[in-house]
Amino acid sequence: MEQTEVMKPETLNDLIKVLHQIFSSDTVNVEEVQNLMESYESKPQEWMAYAQFDKFRYTRNLVDEGNGKFNLMILCWGEGHGSSIHDHTDSHCFMKLLQGQLKETLFEWPDHKINGGMTKKSERVLQENQCAYISDSIGLHQVENVSHTEPAVSLHLYSPQFDHCNTFDQRTGHRNTVKMTFWSKYGERTPFVSSY
Amino acid sequence: MDVYEGLEGEKVLNLSRLNLDNLDLDDVGEERKRDTQQLFLVYNRFIMLPGSICHFSNLVFLDISCNRLAFICEDILRLSKLKTLVAKNNRLDEFSLPKDFGTMSLEVLNFSGNRFEEFPSEFLNLQRLQSLSLGGNRLKSIPAEIEQLTSLELLYLGGNSITSIPPELANLPYLSYLVLCDNRIQSIPPQLAQMNSLRSLSLHNNLLTYLPREILSLFQLQELSLRGNPLVVRFVKDMTYDPPSLLELAGRTVKSRNLPYKPEDLPGNLVRYLDLASKCPNPKCGGVYFDSCVRHIKFVDFCGKYRLPLMHYLCSPECSSPCSSNPQSDADSEDESSVPAHRMQKVLLG
Repeated sequence: MEQTEVMKPETLNDLIKVLHQIFSSDTVNVEEVQNLMESYESKPQEWMAYAQFDKFRYTRNLVDEGNGKFNLMILCWGEGHGSSIHDHTDSHCFMKLLQGQLKETLFEWPDHKINGGMTKKSERVLQENQCAYISDSIGLHQVENVSHTEPAVSLHLYSPQFDHCNTFDQRTGHRNTVKMTFWSKYGERTPFVSSY
Repeated sequence: MDVYEGLEGEKVLNLSRLNLDNLDLDDVGEERKRDTQQLFLVYNRFIMLPGSICHFSNLVFLDISCNRLAFICEDILRLSKLKTLVAKNNRLDEFSLPKDFGTMSLEVLNFSGNRFEEFPSEFLNLQRLQSLSLGGNRLKSIPAEIEQLTSLELLYLGGNSITSIPPELANLPYLSYLVLCDNRIQSIPPQLAQMNSLRSLSLHNNLLTYLPREILSLFQLQELSLRGNPLVVRFVKDMTYDPPSLLELAGRTVKSRNLPYKPEDLPGNLVRYLDLASKCPNPKCGGVYFDSCVRHIKFVDFCGKYRLPLMHYLCSPECSSPCSSNPQSDADSEDESSVPAHRMQKVLLG
């Protein structure tokens, strides 16, 4: 298989440029993207404008829309903030730590024949600059900042783009479709207006 | 969360990561000492807060995290304009603070990642405190006097060894963000349901088996995390039931039949007793109870999403809700007063 010769991206903008090149083709080489994202050494001055925290829960801050091929966003996790167990709507998901640490817990898809909740597959703590990958064929995951003293910042790439996913109740496997929103786009705060 | 708005130029002095163990300000001009509003001394080797710090007379923000601080000297009291003090990841405990610490005008205090085993009493006088973090310490309890912190909006106590929550916490009128995750809490006082200001409640990784039914009335709550608690999954039969006393039976009859009485008709203690009647939550019952009641766990379908086990008290084992004649339907049935969807937008149950 032809392997593109990729230089290590020195800056976040370099990384975005190379991602645009890679995603201009129709197929995604998961390992290539994962290695590329991992090789960018996080420099806070380059992403600080996107790192907008909320005191109550984690935020999603859009960085780039990848010419419609992917969404690149920065997630900000205050102390103790975590996600529910969720899927990825048939898309690839890459998650790179820019600051701090995040605990990722993998779950099997719920099996309704088994009574008593969802099965935990594994868990790990991702370190700064490490890049994880998940897709629906691997399973579901839950991501948490378990630190009580340090906030965490992560860079996420999703391809194809999606704005809905399912969240799961660990005790029952019951699923619920949720709409995903952005706290900010391109550094500008974008409050979500509820339809209620 | 300490997200600070960086100020331009001369107002910020960053002396982080310089291997400092003392603060020699000979190289800092008088004007700079006066103008500095934010001072960073993060990742150094301070064992004590340097006394020379009081030369920064207009200091508003001080971050001395990630040092080896075991003691904060009285000189800090001279920083009369200090609003934010961050001292994460040091070696501070409840004996480290100067006696009059409570007289400072602090609004934000972050002492997470230290060695506090008890809530420092000096904190309880900080009337202007809006944000307090003691995450990742060794606290075993929260004092009832926490209610004195009347300006408190954010309270982060995750990652301690707290076993219970004092009902007085509910008296904080502006508390909107309460974090109690990663502790050893077994129950939630029902008084917490009075906290209309609460918008986010973090309870994950504790020892909760059920929640008080009253929690449904937290209509402003938008975030609730409960994962990692041993919440009961199936209907649990009534636990204990002591038969009611004659006094109780008489009281119940008076109340449920609306027998008229005037305070002059009865001894004062009986009038007071009758005033204590609690209404049975079963709407079809309409009865009351005093001391003798049955703890009953009922599952509430939360916005049609998750089933939360809620505890409430019924007047007798025979009393129950319409569909609950058999355990299976109890697990599936909806509570008659389940919360409308818009009241609780997100429940995080891992």
